[in-house]
Parts: sequence; C-alpha cells; structure tokens
Amino acid sequence: MTDNPVVLRARGIDKSYGGVHALADADLEIRAGEVHCLAGANGSGKSTLIKILSGVEAPDRGEIEIAGTVTSKLSVVGSISHGIQVIYQDLSLFPNLTVAENVAMTTRVAGRARIISITAARELTLTVMKRLELDIDPDALLEELSVAQRQLVAICRAIANDVRVLFMDEPTTALTWNEVGTLFQVVSALKADGVAIVFVSHKTEEVFALSDRITVLRNGKVVAVGGVAEFDRDSLVEALIGRQELEERIVSSDVHDSPVLEVNSISAPGLFAEISFTAHAGEIIGLTGLMGSGRSEVADAIFGIIPFTSGRVAVDGHDIRSGDVASAISAGIAYVPSDRLTQGIFLDQAISRNLVASSISSLANKLGWLRPKAIRAGVDKLIDELSLKVGSPDDPVSSLSGGNQQRVVIGKWLATNPRVLVLNGPTVGVDIGSKAAILQILREKAAQGITVLLISDDVPELVSVCHRVLVVRRGRLVDEIASQNVTVEAVRERSIA
Amino acid sequence: MSVLTRTPQFHIARLRGRNNEGVLLGIIALLLLLIAMFSPGTLSPAMFADILRSSVVNMALALGVLLIIISGGIDVSFTAIAIFAAYSTVVLMRSIGLDNGILPFLAAAVIGALLGIINAVLVAGFKLQTLIATLGSQGIVRGALLAFVGSVYISSLPSALAQIGDARLTTIGGSAVSVLVIPVILLAVGLAVVLRKTMFGRSIYAIGGAPESARRAGIRVGRVQTVIYIAAGALSGFAGMVHVALVGHASPFELVGTELTVIAAVVIGGASDAGGRGSVQGVALGVVLLALIQNSLVRLGVPGFWHTAVVGVVILLGVAIQAQSRRRRSKRSTILESAVTA
Amino acid sequence: MSSASTVAPSFLARVRRTLDAAGHTGNLGLLLAGVIIVFSLLNPSIFASPLNLQSIAYAVPEIALLALAIAVTMSSGGIDLSIVATANLSALGAASVSIALMAGGVPGDAAAATGIAVALTVGVGCGLINGLLVAKLRIAPILATLATMTLFSGFAVAVTRGTPLYGLPDAILALGVQTVAIIPVSFWLLILAVVVIWAVMNRTGLGLRIILVGASPEAADYTGIRRSRVLLSTYALSGAIAALAGILMSARSASATAEYGSSYLLLAITIAVLGGTNPLGGRAPIVGVGVAAIVLQAISSGFNGLHISPYIYQILQGLILVVVLVVEVRRGRLTKWITRMMSRPPADGAALAASTGAATPLKEQPTPKPLTQGSHEHD
Repeated sequence: MTDNPVVLRARGIDKSYGGVHALADADLEIRAGEVHCLAGANGSGKSTLIKILSGVEAPDRGEIEIAGTVTSKLSVVGSISHGIQVIYQDLSLFPNLTVAENVAMTTRVAGRARIISITAARELTLTVMKRLELDIDPDALLEELSVAQRQLVAICRAIANDVRVLFMDEPTTALTWNEVGTLFQVVSALKADGVAIVFVSHKTEEVFALSDRITVLRNGKVVAVGGVAEFDRDSLVEALIGRQELEERIVSSDVHDSPVLEVNSISAPGLFAEISFTAHAGEIIGLTGLMGSGRSEVADAIFGIIPFTSGRVAVDGHDIRSGDVASAISAGIAYVPSDRLTQGIFLDQAISRNLVASSISSLANKLGWLRPKAIRAGVDKLIDELSLKVGSPDDPVSSLSGGNQQRVVIGKWLATNPRVLVLNGPTVGVDIGSKAAILQILREKAAQGITVLLISDDVPELVSVCHRVLVVRRGRLVDEIASQNVTVEAVRERSIA
Repeated sequence: MSVLTRTPQFHIARLRGRNNEGVLLGIIALLLLLIAMFSPGTLSPAMFADILRSSVVNMALALGVLLIIISGGIDVSFTAIAIFAAYSTVVLMRSIGLDNGILPFLAAAVIGALLGIINAVLVAGFKLQTLIATLGSQGIVRGALLAFVGSVYISSLPSALAQIGDARLTTIGGSAVSVLVIPVILLAVGLAVVLRKTMFGRSIYAIGGAPESARRAGIRVGRVQTVIYIAAGALSGFAGMVHVALVGHASPFELVGTELTVIAAVVIGGASDAGGRGSVQGVALGVVLLALIQNSLVRLGVPGFWHTAVVGVVILLGVAIQAQSRRRRSKRSTILESAVTA
Repeated sequence: MSSASTVAPSFLARVRRTLDAAGHTGNLGLLLAGVIIVFSLLNPSIFASPLNLQSIAYAVPEIALLALAIAVTMSSGGIDLSIVATANLSALGAASVSIALMAGGVPGDAAAATGIAVALTVGVGCGLINGLLVAKLRIAPILATLATMTLFSGFAVAVTRGTPLYGLPDAILALGVQTVAIIPVSFWLLILAVVVIWAVMNRTGLGLRIILVGASPEAADYTGIRRSRVLLSTYALSGAIAALAGILMSARSASATAEYGSSYLLLAITIAVLGGTNPLGGRAPIVGVGVAAIVLQAISSGFNGLHISPYIYQILQGLILVVVLVVEVRRGRLTKWITRMMSRPPADGAALAASTGAATPLKEQPTPKPLTQGSHEHD
C-alpha cells in the first residue's frame, strides 16, 4: 500500500478561528486505493482539515498538493473536479429537494451544467443505488426520509461523482449493523477501484477493522502517523486522548439509599423504548452508547425537550409532565445540553446574564423586578465556585474558552439548586484543564447529595467519575456496569458490542 | 431492513402538491361553488375576464418576489422599483420624444435590473438581513423617484404605449382581456422552466433550503443571490410598465403600498418564508385566489370599507395554513424503527 | 511637526476611550449635537429658534414610541410591522368611546381617561393577536404582522367607514398642544415611557427573558424560559406602546383616522436600527432609540427649514438604515483597523517623510502583533 502514488497531500496547514487554533502545522498524505483513518477526539481538528481539503474553508497557512499541482487554497468546485468528495457529519444535503436532485447536485455544479434533467438525475441515482443495492424512491423529498436513508443518499451523492478521494466524517453514526455492512462493502469496492477513502472516526474498533493507514490528530496537531500494523489499541487510544487523560477513578462510597430520579419504562416512538433506571442522592450515573444510539434523546426526554409517550419520570416521587421543560425544572432537574454553542449559552450575551438565565424568577421580586444586588452576589459566588477566569462578568460569554463556557452553563444550573444534574457530553471540545475541573465539580456536587446523570461516549471520563454506567443501544437500555466492574475495558467493550 | 424500502407515498398526499397547490385549487373551487350558490348571476365569463385583468400586474410582480422568497429572503422594495422604472421610462420617452410600444417594457426592465443591483450589493455583498436591506432600498428608490425624476401625474401616455395598453387579446362576456396577458404568461412559463429545469433554478432552491450545504456543494451563493436580485428588479420594472400601460397614465404614487398583497399571494401560493419552497403554479393560484376574493366581495355586495379587513383575514389564514403544514412536515430522525426490524 | 504626530494619536486615543465608555448611545448623542450644530449654522435664524426646537419636541414622541415598539419586538428576534395600524385602531377606540361618553353626558376628563384605557386595551389586544400568531402558530413575525397590519387597518377602515373622527375630549387634545416648563407634555410623556420601557427591558425578569429569547431561541428553550409566554408579552408590550403613540397622534392631529402615519413604518424601523437595536435580536438600547428619534426628527426639521424636498429626507432615511447596518456588519473589521492604527508605534521617520513629502525610502515598520495571538490559550 505504501507504494501507491500519493493523490492528495497537505503540508503545514494552519487554521484558527478567532484565537482558537483549530489546526497547527498539520500534514496529511493520502495514497490511491488506501483506506486512511483520520482519527481524533471531538474538537481535535478533523472536521476543519476536511473543510480545508474540500475547499469550504481557506487555510491561514500551508499548501495542498493534488494531482501534481500545488496550491495554497482550493475552491469547492476545484476540489470536486479533482475528485474529492466529502460525506459530512451533518450530511449537508438539501431537505427540500428530491433524492435524485440531491444525488445529482454536486456533479452538475462541478460539471458547470446549465440544465438539470430530472430524467438524467433519476437515472444517475438509480445506477448508483443499484451499485449499492439500495432502493430509495428517487422522487421522494429528502425530508421525507429517515436519517439512515439520508445518510445512504449522501453516500450515493459522493460516489455519483468521479471520486478519487472520499472523505467520510463519521459515516456510521446513524446506521444499523446491516447498513454498516453495506457501507463496508461499498468501501472495499471503491478501494478496489483505486479510490482513496479517508475515514473519520474516534471509535477504535472501526479504525482497526477498516483502515490501512492512520493519522491521529490531537488539539489540532498530528501526533501519530503510520500503517495500521504499527498501532495497537492502547497506543491508538494513547495517541487519541493523550497519556495524562487516563485519569484515576475517584468515586465516593457515600451514596444514599433514597431514590431521587426514577425513570420508569419511558418510551418515545422511533427514538427509544422502555428505559428504566433509578438514581440515588449523591450518585453519579453514566449513560453511554454510540452516537445515534438514543442516549441523547433519553436525556432530552428526561428534561422535557422530547415528550415520552408512556412510562413516567419522577424526582423525589413527584411526577414530571412529559414534554414540559418547566415541570422538569421545577421538580429540580437541570440539563447541560449537548450543543454548547446553540443550546447551552447565549453567545453574545454577558457572562452574568448567562449565569442567571435559569434562575430569573428567584432573582426577581413578586412584581417581576430584578434585584441587582442579589444578581451581582449570585454571579460573583458562581464565578468563585466554578473558578471561572473572567475579566468582567459583563464581558460576552463568547470571549471565554470552550471549557469556561461550559462551566458557565453548569453554573447557570447550579444557581437553581437542582436535585438532579443531567449533563450531555459536557467535556466535548473542552481543554484538558477544564475537563478535569468539570469532573471535579460533578464529584463535589454529588458529595453534596445531588444526583448526576452523565451522558457521554468518553469512556475514561465515565470510568473516572461514575458509580454506575448504563449502556444504550439502538434505543434500548441493554447493559449496566456497576461498582468495581466499571473499567475502561469493560465499558468500551460493552458500549460497542 | 426497513431503511432500504421505499417510503410509502399516498395518492392523497400527491394530490395536495408539494406546496399545497392542490389545496389552493380546492379552495378556489369551493369559493366559486359558494358564489354560484349564493349569487348565481355573478358567476359569469365577465367575472373571469375581470379576475384575469386584475391579476396581470400582481402576477408579474409576484414572479420576482417568488425568486427572492425561494432563496430564503424577502423583498419589500419591488413596488418602489416597479414604479420608478415605469415612471422614469415614460418621463424619458416624453423628453426624447420616443413613441414605441415594445421598447418601454425593455427599458423599464433594464432600469429595474439596475435598481436591483442595490439590493444585490446589500444582500450578497454586505450580507444584510433582507427585510431591512429592502426596506432601506425602498426608501432610497422611492425618494429618488419623487425627488429627482418627478412627482407629477402624467395623464396621457405616448400613443404607441397607450395603444398597447388598450389592445385587446379577446373579449370574454363583454369584458376585455389585454394583450399584455401574453407576455406575463410567457414570463411565468419561462420562470417555471428556469426554476424546475436549470441548475440556476435548482440552486435557488438549494440556497433557500440549506445555505451551508449549498456552499459545500460548490454553489456560489453570493453569485446566485446577485443574479436573483437583479432578475427580480428586471421583473419588477417590467411589471411596473404593464401596470402603467394598463391604467393608461403614469403616477409615481401608485403601486407602492401594494407589496403586502403580492407577498401574501406568493406565500399563500406555497412559498415558505424560511426559503426553499414555492412554485410558479402556486403563485398563480395565490394571485388568482386573492383577486377572486376581492372580486367576489364586490359582486356579493360587501361594502367597500370592509374589503381590506376581509383580505387581511384571508391573508392571515393563508399564512397560518402554510406555517402549520410546514410544521407538520418537519419530523424527527428515528432510531428505534430500524432497530426493531434489525 | 513632530509634536503634531505625537499629539494626534493620544488625542484620538482619548476620544476613542470616551466613545467606548459612552457606547453607541454616546455616539448618537454626539451625532445629535453635530446635526444641531450643522443646521444651526446653515439656518441660524430658524433652526435654533425656540419655536422650532419646540416643534421638533412636539413631533418626536409619537414616532419615537413607534420605534420603541419596533425595538422591543426586534430585541426578541422578531418584528412588529403592524404598529402603525395598531396605533390607529387604538386611537379610534379611544376617540369613539370618549366621544360617545361625552355625548352621553360624561365629563370630558373621565371620558378621556376611559378613552385612554380603551386605547391601551385595544393596543394590548392587537399585540396579543400578533403574539398568538408568532408564539403559538409559529408564523414568521414578518408575515404574521404584515397580515395583521392589513387586518387591523382594514378593521379600522370598516368601523369608521373611512372617515376621521373629530371632537376628542380636551384632556386628550391637551397632550398635543400643552407644555410644562417649555417642553411639550407629550415629550414629558415620552421621557416617562422611555424610563418605564428601559426599566422593563433592563430591570425586570420579563425584559431579561425577552432579550435572551432574542439572543437564542433554542438556548432559551434549553434554559427553561417559556418562549411562547415571553413572546406573547413582548408583542402585547409592543401593542401597548403603539397604542400610546396612537393617542399622541390623534391628540396632535385633533382627530383619529385609519390612515394616519402611513410613512411611519420605515421611519420607525430606521430609528430602531439607528438607535442600536440588532434586527436579529438580543439587544434593547431603549435610550439610544429615543435619541435616534430626536436625531432623525432634527434632520427632517432642518431639511424642512432649508426647503429641501421631503423626498430627499426619505432617501436619507433609507441610506441611514442601510449604512448603519453595513457599518454594524463591518464593525469587527473597523475596530480591528482602528486598533491597528492606534497601536502602531510612532514612527518618526515615516511621519517626517510623509509630512515633508520627501522621497526617502521608508524604514520598515514593525508590524503590531495580532490581538488574537499569545493572549491566552484556548482549547
């Protein structure tokens, strides 16, 4: 494989977004007919590198060599006509167009077509689908399809082009095993045709099953490159997350017997079914599973964002109304959502406003007038408690680093004196120092008797703080790992099995 | 294996049309039925001719608005552009003594396109919110028309233009149908083809539906926006001239203020304010529906001062229905469904 | 010469510090001063006369209130295009009820008070209709309020049959003509309204929630803010403010009609944006909007005094709206540019060469470090 010609080479790529260095002097070399794994944790710079190589973003520095020509910046059309295709994590399809139009769009744009023939687009789609042994109505609107079907359409669109390098940004997240099987067959067929496939993943199993060579990114830097044989699971994990990340397990034995959060057989059609567990005062429970397994939806349902159609959720014996956030909050549930930037914080607003956002009623008198002194005192207390590094509480929260922003989200909820703290991927895209600080906050809050539900796919993190870890797979609770059985190996094995 | 099977499509759903065109057609039929029941005499060929006549200008204006709304924007400057283009064309013709039936339409379209550049620069260049940008350009264009071009009522048009305005294609039930119906229909058909069959047309839908995906697919968003704002300007200019020719005079104070009716027709016709949806057929139905309602209010003897309120209610209902049907369409991704069958 | 080159930056820096401290509203204050000075110089006998200033003060309140209604809805991420129609409908409500009461023998002051209460009720009612459409039916605010604009003004035309109502109670008419300490009563009312609205937006839970919903509706949902309730209140507040504007409009024209102030919508939006409101939500600079209203009215009055066509003023309105937003969009770049200009170390050689026009080659200047580097590490 190392003898194959290089089809795409990036050298010394630098890219920063408003002070955050997403990529620093990153190199990447892709050879024809190889499956190359681009591995890295969330926020390691994988997606940025892909956007630069597909011409969506321009690098600040560095050069890209493709088909013998060297350039400092690619255009999207230039990248497509050089045979680069990307299946983005969000798929980047058009919900309002038909399947056939979606499949044909990039080939027609790159081919500078002026006319789009519906018949030709349909034929192209059917041809590609035949190759993948799929049967999706080419005239259906994309928005009528399930997410898994959309993912398959995205794959169809990519290979409908004359593809030489195919990037797949976590393509297996929404697929069932059958579909992943189909996808792997497609990958080997393409590979046999000499297509290079760049596979983005942070799941070690997939990496070993599929790839020929591996490039590992961490914090925007390339930390390891080599053939798959040069890695074993431990060295890959170490490269992915760094040695210092494997923290020791510190869990208190001080869990009360009194049940606080009772989740009793809740179901939501199409999302998850018959989820039951009980969490006690002072307990930290991990909820894990692959992306798309339903773990996030369970968390959303407990907080009332998604209604559940049967079963019950109760805090201290008081039932929560399904699909009612206010009822969840008044029962004492707090929720740190998965998407910090759009769901967690009010980006352009002051840090102080973000910190009080969830406790406005308690900071106002009966007539609704805010009490500025109470607000100031509360904000100062939270900043101190969370050891937030802020210039002034009136600065916008966007001036903070990701880790500090996440602490602001947690602080916003601590201000409500919650009984149950639900956190969905709280350390994603957060620096190591902040991550340790956030986990320490969770331990402290548990020690004060708060029940913590930590949704995460970061296994070392789960092992480090959780008393118990629950595993969700395809919308169902399939496993529970308790007390001394909570080890990195056990959790990783059972969440992927 | 449910993922691999086709999504079931009900025929009823197909009948509704992608943008509720079927529903609109049904409402129009129902209205006609009601009129036939309560006031059988009014349902005459002349009524159709009247509706056709009152729809011509709105249809021409609506075509430009449709382009903008599909791309995810909104335009409130088009009436100002329309009357600026038409009025200044007439002023120009009178000052240079040109008398021609075809040229003024082209000239107005060109002036409209030039004014459309203002919107293009603001939206594609400076990335301003489209409502605010076009509100600003509405003020600029209208002010410039009244301050620099003229603010007097011109009661008679150059004779060739006046002739075109008076020329009848045919007469239905004693009511004349202007020849200007033909170019408007041709433009509508042309635009329908552009929207459906060309990459440019599909790019507008792509931009309106998912701007970031469009960028990633290599569509030059700024360029497409530039072209549609200029094209919308040209269509508005042309529509303004149709209006002037039909009414037989040129007044710089007309058209401005009718934006809402046109936008409403486009939205009722299925174009989504969020972008990415809408069709020429739907717009035509929306325009006809509003004209039909206004017309039948007159024929059913509803006092004139109630008309605006009734039209307001109809617009509100139309907008609400479209918003509801869009909400119904968006659904969550499924996890379980595939898991159960696997 | 060299003294000039060192004085200039420090002076600029001082100006910049002052401006930063005062913020956007401070800039507007400077702009207002500039406008007054320019027109006073151009037209000394008329513009600066107490009578003219007083007439500006009479004209400002109604349009300022309409702009405040826009600002409140814009800060929630929406817009209320029905404000003028709401104002007219409310004024008609006030007029018809108070006229009827007086005809029934009720004393004028009581009739006026009832009328004002009716106007506010109508305004809040219109606002609640908008709020329901936006919050419950999830219709885009632009479309919902465009539609209600037709509906409300159509309703106003229908109930009045298109004719204005005259014979308002004296207490209402007084709002349009009387002064207290030289300043018109209506202007005092505006000041009161600005204080109250400012307090609502900045000192109450509702105001904070409105701004947070405007900043990010999704984050508001995940924060437990009841978005539809907040939006209902926002549009009700906007309707109430519009109703107040309607009363002042009818007081000044001594009549109530369905067609008053048709050109006010663009003006109100321009004022709101010039005042510093972000059309995308999350910011409610109430005082700034008040100052912006005075700025635009002063320009209008100045133009009037110089016999400049009102249509030119219309062009200027459009230009201001667009330019303010373009500057806003470019501000990041602008501040960066200013910072660079300020932080450039004084290069005597360059200053000398430039000022004398000497053709000597310039020494290469050390380029300042970008602000983003080396300050602190992010993730």
